Amino acid sequence: MTAAIGRNLVLLALLVSTVGAVVAAATAARRSAAGWAWTRRLAYLFALSMIAANGLMVWALLARDFSVSYVAQVGSRAVPDWVAVVSLWSSLEGSILFWGLVIGAYVGVATWANRDRHPEYMPWAVAVWLACGAFFAFLLAGPAQPFQSVSPVPADGAGPNPLLQNHLLMAIHPPFLYLGFVGMTIPFGLASAALLTGRLGHDFLRPLRTWLMLPWTFLTVAIVLGGWWAYEVLGWGGYWAWDPVENASLLPWLTATAALHSALLSERKGVLKGWTVTLVLATFLLTILGTFMTRSGVFNSVHSFTQSAIGPTILVFLVLALAWSIALLALRIDRLAAEGTIEPALGRDSLFLVNNLLFVLFTFTVLLGTVFPLLVEALRGVQMSVGRPYFDRMAVPLGVALLLLMGVGPALPWGRATPAQVRQALVPPLVGAALLAALGAALGVRRPWTLVALAFGGYTVQVTLRELWLPLARRRRAHGESLGQALVEAGFVRGRRRLGSYLVHAGAAVVIVAIAVSSTMGESREAQLRVGEKTEVGDYTLTFVAVDQVSEPHREAVVARVAVSRAGRELGVLSPRMNQYERQREPIGTPAVRSSLFEDLYLSVMNIDPASGQLDLLAMVNPMVGWIWAATALMALGSLVALVPSRADTRL
Amino acid sequence: MSEAGVREHKPRPLNQRVLLVGLAVVAPLVAVLTMNLGRNPHVIGSPLVGRAAPDFSLRPLDGGEPVTLASLRGRPVVINFWATWCVPCFQEHALLVSTARSLAERARFIGVIYEDSEEQVRGFLARQGSAYPSLVDPGSRTAIAFGIFGVPETFFIDAEGRIAAKHVGPLDAQSLEAKLRQAGLAP
Repeated sequence: MTAAIGRNLVLLALLVSTVGAVVAAATAARRSAAGWAWTRRLAYLFALSMIAANGLMVWALLARDFSVSYVAQVGSRAVPDWVAVVSLWSSLEGSILFWGLVIGAYVGVATWANRDRHPEYMPWAVAVWLACGAFFAFLLAGPAQPFQSVSPVPADGAGPNPLLQNHLLMAIHPPFLYLGFVGMTIPFGLASAALLTGRLGHDFLRPLRTWLMLPWTFLTVAIVLGGWWAYEVLGWGGYWAWDPVENASLLPWLTATAALHSALLSERKGVLKGWTVTLVLATFLLTILGTFMTRSGVFNSVHSFTQSAIGPTILVFLVLALAWSIALLALRIDRLAAEGTIEPALGRDSLFLVNNLLFVLFTFTVLLGTVFPLLVEALRGVQMSVGRPYFDRMAVPLGVALLLLMGVGPALPWGRATPAQVRQALVPPLVGAALLAALGAALGVRRPWTLVALAFGGYTVQVTLRELWLPLARRRRAHGESLGQALVEAGFVRGRRRLGSYLVHAGAAVVIVAIAVSSTMGESREAQLRVGEKTEVGDYTLTFVAVDQVSEPHREAVVARVAVSRAGRELGVLSPRMNQYERQREPIGTPAVRSSLFEDLYLSVMNIDPASGQLDLLAMVNPMVGWIWAATALMALGSLVALVPSRADTRL
Repeated sequence: MSEAGVREHKPRPLNQRVLLVGLAVVAPLVAVLTMNLGRNPHVIGSPLVGRAAPDFSLRPLDGGEPVTLASLRGRPVVINFWATWCVPCFQEHALLVSTARSLAERARFIGVIYEDSEEQVRGFLARQGSAYPSLVDPGSRTAIAFGIFGVPETFFIDAEGRIAAKHVGPLDAQSLEAKLRQAGLAP
């Protein structure tokens, strides 16, 4: 019964999205007002049917209704309710259903937000959104049907992948990733609309940027949450491995970041419109490529879902989207003529171009490294991996260059700068660069790349702080306002986008520096301990106190109790553990992390034998890792500040 | 149409450079992805196929003497690793039971229980029916000896005790028949 209702909701979504896409395209071609009203109704109905289908699945998961195939596959009476809800996206069919929820919600909200605006673009945009929606509804109706009836009904199910049950972050990372990935459909539709109408006016660049920035924010948070999860759960002490699927999430982030910058230049100077649109289309295409990579079984990764007919179907969609994008660009890009010019001299404009160049280079580097092993295997039949050395060698100089650019660009004035202006802008931040590099050197940093990252980081942080401070100072001088008044006026009322952008820059600078420091300055030790024995890592002394066996409803755990002290002072007991889930042969370790302001003490059980009391322990001191998480929160905050509509927008 | 200050701009109908660059980037990518589509990086062919099956001595669920592989020589043997928590196992169960019944004396069928509780299996077999012994595999030793990745996996052993074929995932009627032939079952 439940399964049949679910199937019908999916069919309804497929029907309204297909009809809606056709109606929207006809509306766009004929400029009909009645057509636009119907387009909107169909878009809302699509959103509602997807929301209802997901609500039904969540209900079935909570009720343990094993007559629904997806519940029979991932549900279990043994798991707590939060795991049951999270199971919605833990497996292939459910993840596509959840995709449907997110695309439905985005299409509904984006249609509603623009119901009275941009009448010449919006029907085209909605047509593209609903066409994408129709594809995912088709996947759910056919190859990825989560609502098949199971008969006879099994008494219990296997439960979701235990890695998903192991940490609460796994409940948060995937939704953010979907909000980021799926959300790129919206700017894709808007960019397609600009190409279809052959116009990209100043008024339309605002919504394009806003709807690009929203999923960009989610994607930024999702990528870092994924790293955080790996760090807290997988137990090897790192947060990024250049795994194909991690790369899949990074690729659209890189092009989206480039697009945000080039859109800013388009908005201010009326240039690079075709290029901005190209980057937006590429971002969407890369999200579909990423989706294909996780769901086709072509790439071997911790993230892979099982192989199925879904892979080829997504590949077909990718090819269609690629063909659509290339054809549209080739036919229409020349109509998006520049209204201005970029000064061919050193200034902020030209550095935007360098920014775009670096991001695109970064994208190609990662794309090549990800796909190259496939090429080799297809041609020579050898399994190979490009692995970390390639990525690190390429990503470190690019990341460091972007860090410097984040300082130099904003320091320079727009347009053409005189040599005196250039000196005045670029010399003072050298103080910040020297200070941070000297601080690093004093604390023992010797690696050249780490020192360079620190110097560039100091430079950029000083420029960013100055740019955050300047509008305040100006208002205080001009209007005699108090600091608080000036902060509210300059920061939140008038210059919100500016404030937000520089907060994002500040966060990004800290993230890059923290990555440089944490990946080069850590210490690690592996030790074999019996109860009562000690080992040391950094300036910590670790004493293996006891082994405990803990029984929880859905898992058994062997827990090592390790007492930590530094310089004779007791810091408490850390409990890294091995979890044994029901019906899983391999136990899964959960590390224990003690975070302080500047470093984490990270303990991970490699192996533990409760009978003999022997523990193989991996102990690490990871400096500044916590800064990555905190600075990402700052980036998210900054982009939220920039996203809140300003007075000018609400008047429109 | 041309206004003051705006350059005369005549759009070409098709920007060939954009088209060529786009195709040059995209075509190789699509080609590589397509070539790799059929591949499954998780599947590793069993080195056991063609060799003697690892012997075992396992207790049947419903009591009685332990079953050894050696005692089954002389007929093709189908060994199905399964569990009640596995949905594909559930799907293939009816086919296995009916085939086992219809082949009766010409082939032997054995189920090996993989990581599951005995009550669960008893309840399942009482509801769904059974036609051949299900063996208890303490510590999954036999599953490890056969190199099981996940369930269901089914091995087809010929009359001489060699592994003739292996099937990963739920069986359908055609592959069951084809693999039984490989194990030497007369048509």
